[in-house]
Amino acid sequence: MIQILRTTETEEYRILRGTAADYAARVLAPVAEELDAPTGTPFLESMNKASELGVLRAFVAEESGGGGLDDYAFCVALEEMAVESAGAATALLIHNAALLPAIAASGAPELEAVMGAAFPMSLAYPGQVSLAGGKVSGQVPMAFNAPAASMFTVLARSTEGIAVAMVEPGSEGVEITPNEHQMGLRAARCGSLHLTAVEPLAIIQADNEMVESLERLLHLGFAAISAGIARKAFTTAHAYASERYQGGDIIVHHQALRLMMAEMVSGIEMSRAMIKSACEEGGLAPALACRIEATDRALRSATDGVQVHGGYGYMEDYGMERLMRDASWCQIYPRPNQESLLTLLDLVEG
Amino acid sequence: MFDDMLGTAMSERGKQLLKDFPALQVLHKHDRKGVNGMIKVAEDCEEYNRRYAEPMALEIDERIGRDHDYFNWDIVKAGCQYRFLSLAIPEGVGGIAGKYIVTNMALAVHELCSTCGGIGLIFGAHTLGVSPLITAGAMAHWDTVLHEIAEEEKKGNPVLMAYAITEPSAGTDVEDPEFLAKGKIGMEARRTKGGYVINGRKCFISNGREAKYLTLTAALDRNRPLETWTTFLIENGMPGYSTPRVERKMGQRASHATELLFEDVFVPDSHVLGYPGDGMVNGILMVMGASRGPVGAIATGIATGAYNHFMAWAKTRRNGHAPIDEERIRMAAADMHAMLCANRNLFINHALVADASFGKVLAHPLVNSTYLTPRAIRTSKPMYKLLNSMAGKAFINTLLGLFISDEEITHILALASMAKFHCADNAMKITSKALELMGADDSEDRRWVEKCFRDAKLCQIYEGTNQLNRLCLYDTEISKELTVEIPRPFRAPLKVEVN
Repeated sequence: MIQILRTTETEEYRILRGTAADYAARVLAPVAEELDAPTGTPFLESMNKASELGVLRAFVAEESGGGGLDDYAFCVALEEMAVESAGAATALLIHNAALLPAIAASGAPELEAVMGAAFPMSLAYPGQVSLAGGKVSGQVPMAFNAPAASMFTVLARSTEGIAVAMVEPGSEGVEITPNEHQMGLRAARCGSLHLTAVEPLAIIQADNEMVESLERLLHLGFAAISAGIARKAFTTAHAYASERYQGGDIIVHHQALRLMMAEMVSGIEMSRAMIKSACEEGGLAPALACRIEATDRALRSATDGVQVHGGYGYMEDYGMERLMRDASWCQIYPRPNQESLLTLLDLVEG
Repeated sequence: MFDDMLGTAMSERGKQLLKDFPALQVLHKHDRKGVNGMIKVAEDCEEYNRRYAEPMALEIDERIGRDHDYFNWDIVKAGCQYRFLSLAIPEGVGGIAGKYIVTNMALAVHELCSTCGGIGLIFGAHTLGVSPLITAGAMAHWDTVLHEIAEEEKKGNPVLMAYAITEPSAGTDVEDPEFLAKGKIGMEARRTKGGYVINGRKCFISNGREAKYLTLTAALDRNRPLETWTTFLIENGMPGYSTPRVERKMGQRASHATELLFEDVFVPDSHVLGYPGDGMVNGILMVMGASRGPVGAIATGIATGAYNHFMAWAKTRRNGHAPIDEERIRMAAADMHAMLCANRNLFINHALVADASFGKVLAHPLVNSTYLTPRAIRTSKPMYKLLNSMAGKAFINTLLGLFISDEEITHILALASMAKFHCADNAMKITSKALELMGADDSEDRRWVEKCFRDAKLCQIYEGTNQLNRLCLYDTEISKELTVEIPRPFRAPLKVEVN
């Protein structure tokens, strides 16, 4: 495999990257196709083994049994996992995002069950949900991890502003409809959620800052996942192009293909640099900008990755078409890229 | 504006067709009958879509996603009443192809694919399978194979064809003379008494498993593929021929992509189409000249379907807000609309120019008068032998050369390649943009657009990758390094300088 990028990462991150890459290759790669099954609950056994990386409770302090990771470390782990299964990485991202409000409100005794919830938790956001009289009602069209969720983190509007309701899937009034037609990121199976006067397990008072930190994590996470997709597209395409003979030469020597692959490299470089800088900078705007650019570039890389493979790329057996489907889905959550661009300008304007 | 002088009202579909294709609006002034025939094709496809494809497309796509061996014959049978399998079969043997053979085909797949790229491909790949019989002037088989397809179709029994070009180690290489000369070819048709013995594999063949008849290109000598490239007619059931597997495709699933295995398959001399060694011209360059434009039409159809569902989504009001209220969505709609317009003009442009040559031959009195001879004589053994003899083939090819010039063929191939890659690239732009704008939406419209996105990608790959099609446009039209010559009797085969 060729080295894509020199890195100035400190040893701590380098070690994590290595461990995560090893985990992805050892555990996720063999089941990547099963995780992408068109219907049903995905094969999530392998995800539980991710606890050895400290990513199942990435943002819980180490002394409380969590991973104690910072944003960048989490992005490093997601990127490496996404190389083999963007869907599994998404399931992990959503799980950790769903835990954020409970972590922020740490110490509350009623949240003990939440902090101990099994993987995966689901994030019911964005949607049209309201909290009144201690009960939540409304609907969320697309919640990742919904059909398999151990717990829902539901963002709701209440008279006092934003509230986070922790809802158990078995509670009365909870209706989950799995999305059986999901095109991408299938390991993080989506479902629509209908809540009718559901009594939550706990309610966490939230503010805009909480929503912002949640969104920031989602943006950084999808940027990292996209970088992983683009890397997979590049390395697989380059390896194939170095072997496939066509037009009197191996195709890696054809300029048309070299250009495509060079653009993949530049896209990966850019995404990684932006992720690193957005993690260091803090704030929503850099994370959002990074997410928009990284996901757009990943779709292009994945589409070109299929093209390099020709007919083989179009067939499920080679795993290339999955990258295209996954990359397309990275562009839209929690909101589509173009809409996010307008938000970005709003943020910059202050 | 569109009603004709006799005051006959034109259907809404007809009016829309003339608006969508300005060239046809002009042509309608000069050849009303011809363009009315095209309108009929579009109307038929629209009705087929409404009655059969629309209710079934998502279900078929999803079922094949779970069980890739599944093939839905009902959807093919339903096309028989509209004669979709006879669009490229000459009228003389029972088909409906006239002087607008390529245009009608392009309009048909465009309309069909606006509902389902996979279903459209079944009919498109079938016609692709028919086309070498036409371009090679293999009239001996018109009265047998093509006649059977047309007659069975009238009874509601679909007889499918397919065209097998791609080999496991040669995809791009078999689509281009310069590349083929250097290609690593696996399949070989070895000369034997009374015919050829074929060994090897073909892959990604649309309709491969379902086809009763296949056309096939193969080298007579693997070390000299270009000089010995030859087109054959294969019958499903020939001993040694099998279809070991179908692929699990990302999209256009309704039509299977199949691997074909040839183990000592004997093919008689009568099943060589054109001359041995002229396969690159009659089997590839002329066929691609006819078919790449319709691939552009397939891409445009798929993109049109995506656009229609995108607009339906954009106009849907949720919580008092419809996306189309926003300026950015209107701008995106305008971009997509402009790309679709450009696409339609590109592929219809190719189709009409192709018909000025191909269609002219099929509608020529000399060809038509052949069919005044009673069928019993045409299909008699001596006639079959004569048409398949070198003298018979020489005669047909001489005529073909008189009707169509080499320059025309080269120019048609250039237009076809241009339409193919440009339409396919635009289709990817439209479908991926639509998905990005629609966002996390659980509507059925998004599901359709996702299918269009998966379907569209194949258009950048098959019939020569878009990269190859760009090179082809450069070679044929810009630098004029590649000239296509119609095979002539007793002529040395095509030569290409290999760098």
